[in-house]
Amino acid sequence: MSQGRLHPITIAIRDIADIFGKMGFGVAYGPELESEHYNFDALRVAKDHPARDMQDTFWIDKEKGSVLRTQTTSVTMRELEKLSKNGKSEARMICPGKVFRNEATDATHEAQFYQLEGFAIGPVGTVTLAHLKGTLESFYKEYLGPDVKVRFRPSFFPFTEPSVEVDAWYEAEGSEGKWLEMNGGGMLHPEVLAEAGLNPKEVQGFAWGGGIERLLMVKYGIPDVRLFHSGDVRFVYAFDAP
Amino acid sequence: MKISYNWLQGYFDKPLPRIEKVAESYTFHSFEIDEVDGDMLDVNVLPNRSADCLSHRGLAKSLSAILNIPMKRDPLAEDLPDKLPSKDLSVSIKDADLVSRYMCARVEGVKIGPSPDWLREAIEAVGQRSINNVVDATNYVMLDIGQPLHAFDATKIPEGAIAIRRAKDNEKITILGGEECSLTNEMLVVTAYQNDTPLAVAGVKGGVGAELSEETTDIIVESANFDGVSVRRTAQNLKLFTDASLRFQNRPTPELVAYGMRDVLKLITKIAGGEVVALADEYTSPPQTATPVLVSLSHVNELLGSNFTHDEVIGAYERLGFKCIVSGDVITVTPPFERTDILIPEDLIEEAVQILGYDRVKSDLLPDTQTKPDQSQFRGIEKAKDQLVADGFTEISTQSFAKRGDIVLANPLDKEKPALRTSLKENMQEALAKARQYSPRFLPPKEHPKLFEIGTVFLKNIEKIEIETSENTQLPKLEPSTDYKPKKETLGKYRKFSIYPFVLRDIALWVPYGIKSDTVSDLIVANAGKLLVRIDIFDTFEKDGRVSYAFRLVFESMEKTLTDEEVNFCMESVNKAAEANGYEVR
Repeated sequence: MSQGRLHPITIAIRDIADIFGKMGFGVAYGPELESEHYNFDALRVAKDHPARDMQDTFWIDKEKGSVLRTQTTSVTMRELEKLSKNGKSEARMICPGKVFRNEATDATHEAQFYQLEGFAIGPVGTVTLAHLKGTLESFYKEYLGPDVKVRFRPSFFPFTEPSVEVDAWYEAEGSEGKWLEMNGGGMLHPEVLAEAGLNPKEVQGFAWGGGIERLLMVKYGIPDVRLFHSGDVRFVYAFDAP
Repeated sequence: MKISYNWLQGYFDKPLPRIEKVAESYTFHSFEIDEVDGDMLDVNVLPNRSADCLSHRGLAKSLSAILNIPMKRDPLAEDLPDKLPSKDLSVSIKDADLVSRYMCARVEGVKIGPSPDWLREAIEAVGQRSINNVVDATNYVMLDIGQPLHAFDATKIPEGAIAIRRAKDNEKITILGGEECSLTNEMLVVTAYQNDTPLAVAGVKGGVGAELSEETTDIIVESANFDGVSVRRTAQNLKLFTDASLRFQNRPTPELVAYGMRDVLKLITKIAGGEVVALADEYTSPPQTATPVLVSLSHVNELLGSNFTHDEVIGAYERLGFKCIVSGDVITVTPPFERTDILIPEDLIEEAVQILGYDRVKSDLLPDTQTKPDQSQFRGIEKAKDQLVADGFTEISTQSFAKRGDIVLANPLDKEKPALRTSLKENMQEALAKARQYSPRFLPPKEHPKLFEIGTVFLKNIEKIEIETSENTQLPKLEPSTDYKPKKETLGKYRKFSIYPFVLRDIALWVPYGIKSDTVSDLIVANAGKLLVRIDIFDTFEKDGRVSYAFRLVFESMEKTLTDEEVNFCMESVNKAAEANGYEVR
């Protein structure tokens, strides 16, 4: 009887957890069916604000205030609360998990996908935007290859200030290098820290998040995001055995 | 927002760098450029800057700061004209919380006609359609400084009396373009006070009732500030997203109203003639005077991990038109009135780093931590997966949606699957049926697919992680494990598979004793053509000094469903090659 195989997302998350583990990051989980509070309000994504248009949401019938989480930032918020309850001011966590977006699906859009969210927090001045750059650069270098470079561009997220878009320079095997949009990030907004019960005058931190499927699609040249969660086992076997 | 490079150039004496360089400057210092097409740049203005940057003026201001090129003129820094008498005009606002300002002006003796070329070209350069001189003037000023504007035929508004009120439920209005909208009490309408007729869906679109025609000579021009939430909901409910609603939902400052009115009246009288005879200004809730925001240089560098100097940071603010008062380490910053987004020191820090450049923030590594990171829950789940894989199971991932369940979505994407799954069983059965059908494509002949999934299920009051397998087995426990090290796997090259069905063929051959199966299999692969995607040996036996090998061949095309003839053709060339090598096809 031969061995089975792991799903590519599992393999990716193991690599990710291993690389970030070496940089001191734990792994956190949270509910997929989430309250509006953790998914939006605590993260300053106000009702009736155009920022909510950035993510099309699945709402729950007859249960006001519940959504399928649109981002694993909800887990970050829960972890920050735990931290404050335990009277601590330092933590590093990644939160890989499934998220949901109510949008038409095609080769690059799927209504459910995995996100890798992460954050680091510490006393003022110890966890900076420069550390976010360094952390992501280390990760991409180890995951995609030593030639990878990382750059930031302006962006906006309600829960970070400043907010950045993170591009990685990647040369896929057999093709020319190019800049790819990998994830969003920034410095946690002081109101988000305060909402979690932390004192933004004493602590600061960065957070980032991006799709895991996209990372794999870039690395392996996978043509269609819908293959990942189709239940089609041919996809798992489409990779040559190592 | 689509903007024109030439229009932008109008804000500067100095020639701008070429359009690609301008696009790059925006992308790395303010907003991503989605597209450059000829003279047009499509700017992805971010939500926090949509109050002031959905305009050529706002984007010119931004570019001026980025490139450090002074603006020739800034309409928002120029004086407002003296107030006019409001005779023959009246404005009554019923819901003051939804209208922070309503300004209107009566212009008499205009001549409606085609726009002058420069105006038509400017409007068309950003993808808009030219209508007539007055309408184009209102659109031009909106695109120029961001204030939505509208012009009514004054004869349709008896006594120049305007009232803004909530619509009645089921009240109807035919909007410009001819579509009839049915309104609700949540929506706001601009009406003619005397006959209570709706003239426009406030902040969204005008109605045909007071539409300008070629006969129009007297007009009433509106420049207003409607509540962003109300306009947004109205636009959503009517599925009517307009340039005006887009701007209002981003809450521009009501101060802008007077600047919009000033510019549009100037332009209308210039290109359509006429005289401004009256102006009314109902300003129900002027904004509080901007309070300065304090930021210290040490805060800037502590948050960013940068080493910006005092002069650099202050320089960035001055280029943005922020007033700075410096006292030691602290900079007291007063942003201009249109920058309603600057509220806390971190907002100012972002402004500084955007202008100075994120490339100035150098990578830095976090110091090592004393405590061991907690990955125990993750490791527990991975331990279970490793056990199942060792037992021959392959992991699948399926959708969380189901036909039935305890939790139902209010807005499902797939109407057939409106609920959240309560177990992984249904998806497993579907996946297994498919896996069996496809198994020759990925498994050798004597193996059958064994699948597992670990995923979240949603019960009435709880969600939990479950394990499902395609056949009975000793299920591993899902419990945290501090020390388990998940097995590291490497993925090999990804090979696309076809959406079209594959075709199977068996072939058995007698070969002389001593010929290895690999040699035979290589010969088959070399002669079967590109449609052969898999070959498995499934039988070997010896007799009379000869060996018989039996192979299963899988044929598949990426482009189409294969016909028997096409596969027969492949098999014939395999047969011929085998015979040429002295093998006997059985």
